[in-house]
Amino acid sequence: MSTLRTEEMTLNMGPQHPSTHGVLRFVVRADGEVMREAIPDVGYLHRSIEKIAEKVGYHGFMPYTDRVDYVCAMFTNQGWGMACEKLAGIEVPKRGEYCRVIAAEFNRIASHLLSAGTMGMDIGAMTPFTHAIREREMINDLIEELCGARLTFNYMRIGGVGWDLPPGWREKALAYLEHFEPILDEYNALLSFNKIYVERLANIGIITPEEAIDYNLVGPNLRACGIKWDIRKDIPYSAYQDFDFDVPVGAGEWGKLGDSMDRYMVRIREMKESVKILRQALHNLPSGAVLAKVPRNFKPPAGECQIRVESARGDMGWYVVSDGTGYPWRVHVRTGSFAAMGIIQKLSAGLMIADLVTLIASLDVIAPEIDR
Amino acid sequence: METLIQNLVAAGTFGGNTEIVAAVAIFVLSAVVFLGIAFPFAGIVSWVERRVWARIQSRVGPNRVGPNGFLQWLADGVKHVCKEDVIPNDADPTLFKIAPYLVVLAFTLPWAVMPFSSSLILADMNVGILYMTSVTALTVVGVLMAGWASNDKWSLIGGIRSAAQIVSYEIPAGLSIFPVILMTGTLSMQGIIKAQGWAPQHWFLFANPFTFIAANILYISALAEGNRTPFDLPEAESELVAGFATEYSGMRYLFFFMAEWGNLFIIGAIITTLFLGGWQFPHVTNNIIAMNILQLITFNAKVLFLVFVSMWVRATLPRVRIDQLMTLCWKYFVPISFADMIGAALWVAIWPDGNPVMGYLMLAGGIVLAVVFVQRVIFYARRSRMELYFHPTI
Amino acid sequence: MSAFAEYTRNIRDAVTSIFEGMAVTASHFVRKPYTVQYPDRTAVRVQDTLPFRYRGILEVDLEICTGCLACERACPIDCIVITCDKDPKTKAMNISQFDIDIAKCMYCGLCSEPCPTGSIHHTTEFEGADFSLESLIRRFVKDPIVAYKPKKGPETDPRIAPLLSRGMHFLDQWAQPGGEKPAAEEAE
Repeated sequence: MSTLRTEEMTLNMGPQHPSTHGVLRFVVRADGEVMREAIPDVGYLHRSIEKIAEKVGYHGFMPYTDRVDYVCAMFTNQGWGMACEKLAGIEVPKRGEYCRVIAAEFNRIASHLLSAGTMGMDIGAMTPFTHAIREREMINDLIEELCGARLTFNYMRIGGVGWDLPPGWREKALAYLEHFEPILDEYNALLSFNKIYVERLANIGIITPEEAIDYNLVGPNLRACGIKWDIRKDIPYSAYQDFDFDVPVGAGEWGKLGDSMDRYMVRIREMKESVKILRQALHNLPSGAVLAKVPRNFKPPAGECQIRVESARGDMGWYVVSDGTGYPWRVHVRTGSFAAMGIIQKLSAGLMIADLVTLIASLDVIAPEIDR
Repeated sequence: METLIQNLVAAGTFGGNTEIVAAVAIFVLSAVVFLGIAFPFAGIVSWVERRVWARIQSRVGPNRVGPNGFLQWLADGVKHVCKEDVIPNDADPTLFKIAPYLVVLAFTLPWAVMPFSSSLILADMNVGILYMTSVTALTVVGVLMAGWASNDKWSLIGGIRSAAQIVSYEIPAGLSIFPVILMTGTLSMQGIIKAQGWAPQHWFLFANPFTFIAANILYISALAEGNRTPFDLPEAESELVAGFATEYSGMRYLFFFMAEWGNLFIIGAIITTLFLGGWQFPHVTNNIIAMNILQLITFNAKVLFLVFVSMWVRATLPRVRIDQLMTLCWKYFVPISFADMIGAALWVAIWPDGNPVMGYLMLAGGIVLAVVFVQRVIFYARRSRMELYFHPTI
Repeated sequence: MSAFAEYTRNIRDAVTSIFEGMAVTASHFVRKPYTVQYPDRTAVRVQDTLPFRYRGILEVDLEICTGCLACERACPIDCIVITCDKDPKTKAMNISQFDIDIAKCMYCGLCSEPCPTGSIHHTTEFEGADFSLESLIRRFVKDPIVAYKPKKGPETDPRIAPLLSRGMHFLDQWAQPGGEKPAAEEAE
């Protein structure tokens, strides 16, 4: 009796695939439904943003930073602003810092909502996605009123923010937070605690704390592994030292520590912490200017600097080298999604094809941020 | 239907060759009446589903074509017919073309034993329910064929998933029918309905706890067989692009989805017949035609409610994974339905004519469940502090 | 936990969580849809509902344009082209070309920020679809026009005064470096 001939098949998932969150490609070697390996292939969304910085100058690069990570553009704005301020030694007025925090935390909620919604959609639940998008639209409405754009904000400037809060905005924002908290609980009842959903995520893609550090994971992905590391708390920047908030970490309530469910729940809890920060910031808003005096022809002294921002996808690093002219000599962005892509190949062995999409979604990989 | 034709034949309407004429007349009439119901139904369901989904998702849904978008399904159908029918180069053309027809065949065959009312049934077979469950399972042949013939790995995985799923879920579905058959002693659709009463406490759903469990398992298994969320793995658009239908376009693509939407009616009809009293309606008039119309409305209302529930379930639940699907089937549904069958058999042995008190108790339990549910709904609607809005359409 | 207890707990969890989820979705049947039926079935034009700061298609009030080229310099993608020449006889600044390629424009708002009079500003208009790229280039100068000269004291020309006050309103939205001017929202 001859043995049954079985062979692995190579599946090409992406770059055009409904659930790769942008233009990603995975070469999947699968034995039936079970994956042997999924090799991520990046670079389909490369727009050489770092090179553009060398051509458009310091002020002019701000709108381009929106495109580094268009889901949470406030953080990329803030990273670029902070890097330039550090180079030139500019101090941002207190109110400006608060405006930055308010805008950035709203953006964090919006980004996490998108992440949670697409997570549901990748698992086949369509309704939570539209509910999450509805809430995100409400945040976008607020941000639109603040800075005039819904996605590519270009809100921050070197030395502060471009617009002060419009009249009546604070009350609207506080009213939205009142509305948002019950909606988040409702979202949890609809999706997060659903048995099918928990079963799909728990014990999938387990990352141990050691692996997380080895693979350079940052942000919610790192915290889901039980490591309490948040730039906002540990290396406070902007005005974050003024606020009282917790850093949620994964606890493995539903499965093992560091599984997809932990990563998902860390984001849900971070939204609640963001609401806390926003309440404090909106209540204690100082008066004064929001923008420091920065020359229009901005020429920082020659030198280099590196700053870190806790974006929605984790520790975002901006490295800028100035040669004293009006154009940066070199800019580099270090983003969380790129690191998260690296671990997929390791985690994918032994998972099912259906788990790959949840794994990508749980790592909250955003294609433009990977490639820049 | 048959009686009508026989009356006409007896009156000498067709002259000679009565046998052939009668056969042809039955064929034509059934084709016109039943396919005239089945296909538009599938289309209308697609529109209703989109509107129901939209409301659940805080959207409006298609409302432009015709009154409230009612003709959207017709526009979609015309669009699909006008589209190019693409057959991939490396596909197996014959199988590729046949597959959608097989799926549609599996969807149309059950209409033959659909008990719309006490006399409106095409063929009251004595093995009606068995026929129903067996022909609906034909879908798997079409889906597997589509997955294989497309020569696409995504399609193949979709097709194989579908085969595994439908074959597995036949078992709990079949076992869940047994309690009812044990109680009625017949497989005929009309016989099962006639064994029930019009009042809810006389429905088999509330006859005893075992039939209640059986009804739930049958409904879930039927959803799985109909490739509906949470068991829509063969299509699983976030994983398999479009599953077995990835390479299809135009009319053939439409056939698959028409069958899927039409199957909703069949799922509802099976549950209605077995557990919800079918067309049973209080005897209010002696006029046979009026009575039949009332029964038709009753039957369709029950079925449409179940169709609505399956849309609602689809809008709520995420999709299970293939191994969880199998776990659910073999570790939960199969043992439970076996135990359920034995329990129902014991029940029938103890109370051969049913236990009337239990019917009322079960009904009270059902009402309590519904009240709790409505309270939860009100709780969520209130807590969200959103504007309440009772308009069914917008 | 024994295997049987886990078995029953799984069933219970599934039933209760699905029950809750169904209640949430059912509660949406009595909620108003959040979406609007753009473009024709909205109570007011969508453009009119947008906030004042909305960054839509750029518009230039040539009457109050000073020809300072600040916007052209600020634009990171060079989608603004202005040609100014001095009239040799009258010594006045003539603007003979003011083109904005809205196909290239990324609506960042950096051009309207340095404008001294608020001449170049964003509108709430966003429907820019057109049949050719060429028609997306907005040419604001038909005939060469004399650039506006800011006067000391209030503007007296009744034709220009409303434009200027509107331009200043646009400018007031921007944060002022160092905060010499009161911010849009008064400090509490």
